[in-house]
Amino acid sequence: MRIAGLGVTFFGLLALMLLLLILPFAFPFSTSVILINLLFYTALAYSINFITGMTGYVSFGHVVFLGIGAYALGASADVYGLDPVLGVLLGAALGLVFALAIGLVTLRFRGVYFAISTVVIALAALNIVLELPQLGGSQGIILNLGFQPYSWYYTIWGIVLFEMLITYYINRGKLGFGIRAIKSDEDAARSVGVNVSALKLYLFGLSGLFAGAGGAVFAWTTSGVFPYETFSLNFSLQMLAMIIIGGVGTALGPILGAVVVYLPSYYFLTVAIGTQLIIIGFAVVVIALFIPEGIVGTLKRRSASLRELLE
Amino acid sequence: MPTLHTEAVSKEFGGVQALKGVTISLPAGSTLGLIGPNGSGKTTLLNIIAGLEKPTSGAVMLGETRIDHLPANAIVKLGVAKTHQIPRPFAEMTTRENVSVAVMYGRRRIKDTKRSLNEADRLLSLLGMDARRDLPASSLTVQEKKRLELARALATGAEVILLDEVFAGLSSDELRDSIQLFRKIRGEVGFSALIVEHVMGAVLTLAERVVVLEEGAKIAEGTPDEVVHNEAVIRAYLGFEENDSPG
Amino acid sequence: MVALAVILSDLLFGIMLGCVFAVVAHGLNLIWGVVKVVNIAHGEFIMLGAYGAYFLNVFGGFNPLLSAVVDGALGIFVGYAFYFSFLHRELRGKERITLRSEMVTLVSTFGLSLFMSNLAVVAFTGDFVGINWSPGTVALGFLELPLGALYVTILAVLIISTSVVFLDRTYIGNAIKAYSQDITATQLVGANPTKVASLATALGFSITMAGGALLTVWIPTGINPYMGALYAPISFVIVVLGGPGKMLGSLLGGLTLGVVIDVLQAFVPVSLAYAVAFLLLIPVLLFRPEGIVK
Repeated sequence: MRIAGLGVTFFGLLALMLLLLILPFAFPFSTSVILINLLFYTALAYSINFITGMTGYVSFGHVVFLGIGAYALGASADVYGLDPVLGVLLGAALGLVFALAIGLVTLRFRGVYFAISTVVIALAALNIVLELPQLGGSQGIILNLGFQPYSWYYTIWGIVLFEMLITYYINRGKLGFGIRAIKSDEDAARSVGVNVSALKLYLFGLSGLFAGAGGAVFAWTTSGVFPYETFSLNFSLQMLAMIIIGGVGTALGPILGAVVVYLPSYYFLTVAIGTQLIIIGFAVVVIALFIPEGIVGTLKRRSASLRELLE
Repeated sequence: MPTLHTEAVSKEFGGVQALKGVTISLPAGSTLGLIGPNGSGKTTLLNIIAGLEKPTSGAVMLGETRIDHLPANAIVKLGVAKTHQIPRPFAEMTTRENVSVAVMYGRRRIKDTKRSLNEADRLLSLLGMDARRDLPASSLTVQEKKRLELARALATGAEVILLDEVFAGLSSDELRDSIQLFRKIRGEVGFSALIVEHVMGAVLTLAERVVVLEEGAKIAEGTPDEVVHNEAVIRAYLGFEENDSPG
Repeated sequence: MVALAVILSDLLFGIMLGCVFAVVAHGLNLIWGVVKVVNIAHGEFIMLGAYGAYFLNVFGGFNPLLSAVVDGALGIFVGYAFYFSFLHRELRGKERITLRSEMVTLVSTFGLSLFMSNLAVVAFTGDFVGINWSPGTVALGFLELPLGALYVTILAVLIISTSVVFLDRTYIGNAIKAYSQDITATQLVGANPTKVASLATALGFSITMAGGALLTVWIPTGINPYMGALYAPISFVIVVLGGPGKMLGSLLGGLTLGVVIDVLQAFVPVSLAYAVAFLLLIPVLLFRPEGIVK
């Protein structure tokens, strides 16, 4: 069932991405717009999957990288008139740099302490940005980038594609073994030669990079950066909810989680976003307590044949 | 294969001197027993050699290379591996995968998944654990988990293996089997072994030389026979039984 | 002289603020220290206490001090409910909390936090509300202290000291302390671990909700469904500063934070003062994870 070591999941995801590639030409405009949002959340889900999904280090404050990316695009577009696509690259770069800097310090802390320090950093970042007039302070930055749905669509599509490929690649090979060892027992992993600190940092860097890219796209699509919206902990919470529901660490989990969490809202437009979050919150509680592996994980556990198929 | 030796290693924690200038030497391919009453510092010494703790003074040398300041995973890559006293398997991974991680990240740094899995299978066969290969490591018995610890240490391609009380808690039958297994493995795979033990029978049978620690200091060193008859050693071990050897 | 008055007044305000922060964090500290779990939804229970005080005020004319008592009583039931729904399965029969249980609790309480804050938006609307309670001021030398804040400070310190005495001097309190050190030891003392842990949790929630009520005096326009997002991190920082499980640590951590924020506010904008205060967590975790005092 595998071609050159690549399984059904790989081809399934590839097919999906190809479908999404040509979709804007085949379907009405409105579908593309819905999909931009869905792809955006998928991108965020994959980004947090690198750290929380794979190593079990819960990054509650992950929104900080989204904010960094958003401000990267916002400030560069506003002050230097930088092309938004370059702004996205800048967002990714800054996301990576900050993640490495923050991770060097915080990844030394275990479990709960790591989680709390990420929250604290996110809040501190918000408070700092509020006081920086260069970044628009509490008013934020209003951009004039225009309505560019096709550019948005293909940029976010590209980001998600990269994330999927990298996630799949990491899980398959040697890195996948090392990561699972770390998730099981960090100290034991060290005792068999895994460079735990380096691997954690590498994954955290990746997560920051993609969250930054996603954040930049967010600023681009809303044509502005506003501190409270951009650094909102609700983003972090939604990111975590998606991978918890979909299945942590897997290549399939994040997109599944994003679909399960966001698609229903488009069919129940009368339901306000707040109510959606109530349901998501409730789902997370139930899943954490009773179905901790999420959809993908549980299916894999129940069925040996699915175990091979779903990655 | 290099010689491992510690030079005057001392360790102090919060006012307590756990180790006082301990110097031991493990020549290539030999087996050294490390014994002593509880609290004598055996585990601390082992942890320092493995890089889990840093000595307050002194050095640990692997051949010509000084290793005491290196992180634990770097020391593994240089060929020194330690088993855990209380087994710590990667619970959600299979027995085979557990060993594969060690193959990939150990001294030999094998990248290819297939090759690693094959090597893991080979080692598990050697240890008589074929049947348990695809089971999650969490479902193994305690004795099997201890064998898994040894398998992982071997899998890292280590030339020096530090065994932390691997023979503890076994029935006399299991003990005899384990000693035989150990001998068989020594025959097939060359490595130096530093065995920390309370089970006298195992140490005295397997070790060529024995070092005795008491309260952090070395009080005796020699062949098992010499050590067993050493007065200082007998005194240190109140209740030390001379007939703790396998039939 | 005027400068001295300003500095003293700032300091005093910092101390009073610190005390209310301390009591708000104290419940978290108790649960963290005893049951060894961190409740990510802690902020939402503070919010619950604050809204409780608000509605008691609007419909019953209760002042925050009285509401604190009512909230505290309610908190006991809430705490028991929380224990049996979230923690019991993970802790039952275990000698020590596992890493897995820690993670499960972290994630489930985070879901709870999402659920509660957004439910509150629907139930209470997103409007910012507050309680108007001004019992006047008292003159202390050249300083004018608002009585409301003063009463809150006194009550806060009272609550924390009572809990310390309770843990030290009563049989049940000692059982709780035993549990926090060694679960099996609790049984040796003749107490049932589940009863002890659930009681500790109930007390923790009781203090948290009372704290939420007391907090309202300091935020006359600040009660809103998302306020938990501010006070939970503040509580986490306080508990880490004072040392998780060290009961008086809540006061130490709270005072430190309160004073730091208040003093910094004189030199930098408020937000930056809070940012610095939050970031204090990192060096403490790096160099003194047991708390700033040994």
